[in-house]
Amino acid sequence: MTFKEIQDLLKLISKLELAEFKLKEDEFELVVRTKEYYKGRGKGNIVSTAAPLLPVSTVPPSFAQPQAAPAPAPAPKAESAAPAKSESEESDESANYLPIKSPMVGTFYRSSSPDKAAYVKVGDVVEAGSVVCIIEAMKLFNEIESEISGRIVKVMVEDAQPVEYDQVLFLVDPKG
Amino acid sequence: MPNKNTLFVGKVSRRFSALPSTNDYAANWLLRERPAEGAAILADHQTAGRGQMGNTWDTESGQNLTVSVIFYPTFLLARDQFELNQALALAVRDAVANFTEKPVIVKWPNDILIGERKICGILIQNSLSGPNIQSSIVGMGINVNQEAFAPGLSRASSLYLETGQKIDLNDLMLTLFAHLETRYLQLRQGGIDNIRTDYLQHLYRRNERRQFAYPDGRQFYGTITGVDKNGKLKIETGGQVELFAIKDVVYVY
Repeated sequence: MTFKEIQDLLKLISKLELAEFKLKEDEFELVVRTKEYYKGRGKGNIVSTAAPLLPVSTVPPSFAQPQAAPAPAPAPKAESAAPAKSESEESDESANYLPIKSPMVGTFYRSSSPDKAAYVKVGDVVEAGSVVCIIEAMKLFNEIESEISGRIVKVMVEDAQPVEYDQVLFLVDPKG
Repeated sequence: MPNKNTLFVGKVSRRFSALPSTNDYAANWLLRERPAEGAAILADHQTAGRGQMGNTWDTESGQNLTVSVIFYPTFLLARDQFELNQALALAVRDAVANFTEKPVIVKWPNDILIGERKICGILIQNSLSGPNIQSSIVGMGINVNQEAFAPGLSRASSLYLETGQKIDLNDLMLTLFAHLETRYLQLRQGGIDNIRTDYLQHLYRRNERRQFAYPDGRQFYGTITGVDKNGKLKIETGGQVELFAIKDVVYVY
């Protein structure tokens, strides 16, 4: 995608007042989350996303206008106006997150049964030995313990979805 | 019939007249005290027994064998856990086969049948850390002397209903412990090839052309040919072998 196309897209997203927008094309991935998305969510949910090219974490509805001006206007917000910079920051940060991976093929469950609360959610602190999810395969139920301590920053798989061997289930910030 | 004097299975045990679930008790026991391998929990009556994810398991007080055994199969990779399932399901099958002349078979992945009627369910709950299994709680519910089942449970039966004989629960328990130990040690000592062979030999509907259904209700005829390394069921249908996970296939009777 060209920068112009991204600008047009952001304008459209702004106009539609979407909470979240995701686009994936080969290696390129764009995730836009607006204020709407974070309404009613805990602070722990504001996590950086693995968007290699333009990781716009938060796009205020007003974002598209200043960007539309071709002149090198002062950036309205450092993170959104300087993709190159935030990209490197982003990857540095992501690189410091540790994965909890699936040791087996199966189905991922976030809680022990459908009426129970999830073992962990974004923002929770886990310790080595904490149970983070269940993986079921052929009627065998497996409690997965974290081997690392830290704060859950992202849940990579949706509840009741199949997972492969070595697939990343959670990202953990070991700094807490 | 192995010697009923086991080395470790059932050497430590706790027995209750009633428990919500022997597996839940085992999980707490494990967490608090980490008892010796082979530790067993028995309940004359289980008030909140579970089958697969929410299914309840119906037991009449004092008539059946409800037991959970704790193992530490740290020698086994999590990804190879179906091997443990095969060994344990065979152990239960072997134990039950001591009490009846009728064929006792394993319905994939781990129900135990006499003929086409289910007399035992197994619920295995592992704890994994990294690539290995840390602990495994094996819950077994064997219908022994129960004389009747709810009308909705037409495929359930008991050893009594199949044999006409009342069975001593303690005798069955000791027999079960002995077979669990034999198969578990066989697995630990690298005997997986023999376990696989035996599992296939006793597998329900193997090499029989029978009717199955997809989750959407579409029915098909197929022949179970075996299981793959992950434990998925192989059914040959229309000249091809399809692999099925637990919720992907329904047996049609």
